[in-house]
Amino acid sequence: MTHRVTIPLLLASLCLWLDAQANNHSVVLVTNERCLVSELSSLDIRKAYLGVTVSVGDQVIRPLRVVGDPELDRIFFQTIVAMSEKSYERRALSLALKFGTPRPAEHESVEEALAALQRTSCGIVFLWAEDVHASNNTKTIRVLWQGN
Amino acid sequence: MPVAQGLWLEGKPMHRQKRRLCRSLPALAAGVGILSAFPVGAEGQHEFLLLPSADYLYVSDLSPPDIVESDVHAGVDVVYSFTGEHLRLLGEYLLSTDESELERLQLGWSPTDNSMLWVGRFHSPASFWISEFHHGKYLQTSITRPSLEQWEDENGATPSHITGLHLEFDRELQDEAVLGFAIAAGLGPRFVADELVAYDMLDPESGHGLSLALRASYRPHLFSPAQFGFVSSWNEINVEPANNPDLATLDRIDQLTAGVFVDMHWEKLRLISSLVYHHNNLRYVDGGVSDDYVLAYVQPEYFISDDFILFGRVDIGDGEDHSVYLNLLPTFISHRNMVGVRWDFAASQSLTFEFADTSQQGENFNHEHYKEFRLQWSAAIR
Repeated sequence: MTHRVTIPLLLASLCLWLDAQANNHSVVLVTNERCLVSELSSLDIRKAYLGVTVSVGDQVIRPLRVVGDPELDRIFFQTIVAMSEKSYERRALSLALKFGTPRPAEHESVEEALAALQRTSCGIVFLWAEDVHASNNTKTIRVLWQGN
Repeated sequence: MPVAQGLWLEGKPMHRQKRRLCRSLPALAAGVGILSAFPVGAEGQHEFLLLPSADYLYVSDLSPPDIVESDVHAGVDVVYSFTGEHLRLLGEYLLSTDESELERLQLGWSPTDNSMLWVGRFHSPASFWISEFHHGKYLQTSITRPSLEQWEDENGATPSHITGLHLEFDRELQDEAVLGFAIAAGLGPRFVADELVAYDMLDPESGHGLSLALRASYRPHLFSPAQFGFVSSWNEINVEPANNPDLATLDRIDQLTAGVFVDMHWEKLRLISSLVYHHNNLRYVDGGVSDDYVLAYVQPEYFISDDFILFGRVDIGDGEDHSVYLNLLPTFISHRNMVGVRWDFAASQSLTFEFADTSQQGENFNHEHYKEFRLQWSAAIR
């Protein structure tokens, strides 16, 4: 009886733990250690990613994105810029045509984005928290999204 | 009658188009070379856009005579910008089956987060449609532009390109609304033969007069495209008669414009409209002639779904039928009632169909009427 009950219970617990871990993802906004920015409001982050110039002191915030992760993209459109992908694309096109405004620099991988972050004086990029822990020379500005 | 003699583009016979392709291609190649050599620092960012389009036009029911014409037109608008810490370079080059022209080339300095001072050739801020959509056909819902907003070389009656200084300034209000201002001063177009000719940076000629332009706008929300505002301009348009006897004694045209515009968005509706008053003083060697008219358009758009838009536009005016100034522009579109539908598909591509009942100014105040059927494919590639 003991094994018949314990093993399924252990398996169920393991599944619940794994599920909790999977859902405990968080997305954080990071910059490089040299950047003096220590906090940014949600509005300023939204502005920066929607083509409005945001400065802190004399440092212009340069937004970067990692593209190609569907879940990260979904969080970007729903939480960070709060508009549909179509509206975002249209706005980015319109700003580029009207004012030459560049869209946030897009990178295919976390490594590439982190390397680009180090080349800017005050860039920002949003990443899964676990991708940030492994990297050096970055500091977390805030948690943008947390799964539960 | 000019329509019998050539193909059409925006209601204008192609034989009147400036064919500057051969002259401008070497300049284009040189420009691309210079731009690619622009220094890319750690903070520098390039932006490159291609806005291609292809149009088919079928014209019928001309009165008189009853002639049918058709035209196929293709082009690509190339937009490039380089943004540094406080500097920006922006260029726009239009290459099409009818023309090849450097439309904009401007260098900007941003003294504050919300302002930019440009020097170079740019689009007049005194025109809402022009400063909103520029040459990017994909971004405008309709195929045609309102006659009030036409380019100089496509029957336009007011300057759309200025070469000089342009200051843009935004002020964010407490409720996330934005007040925007744009002021420009520089060289405007000349009136040559039967059309306005903008200052060409690749082929500079003297004799261009002063253009001053202003736009003030209010956007209820920072991130919304909705806006309304005021536009005004003062233009001193010098005249070069060429072989046009009507211009033989005309020295200069002083033009004042003042108007309002609105671009409002609701859940499934969009309304774009502008109304502009024009006062022209035609300064002949033996005296002056003044005229006044108002041009306006209303373009409602209904979003049937995310991908389909039903739209229409009415181009109307008051006093334009008997304007002495517009009589010098026989291909100016004086009236157009238009309906159309647009389908957005794939990634940033669209197909648009338009049907219009159109009148152009004609010779000696005799309007010429016809029907237009247009089909356009347009896209945005980056």
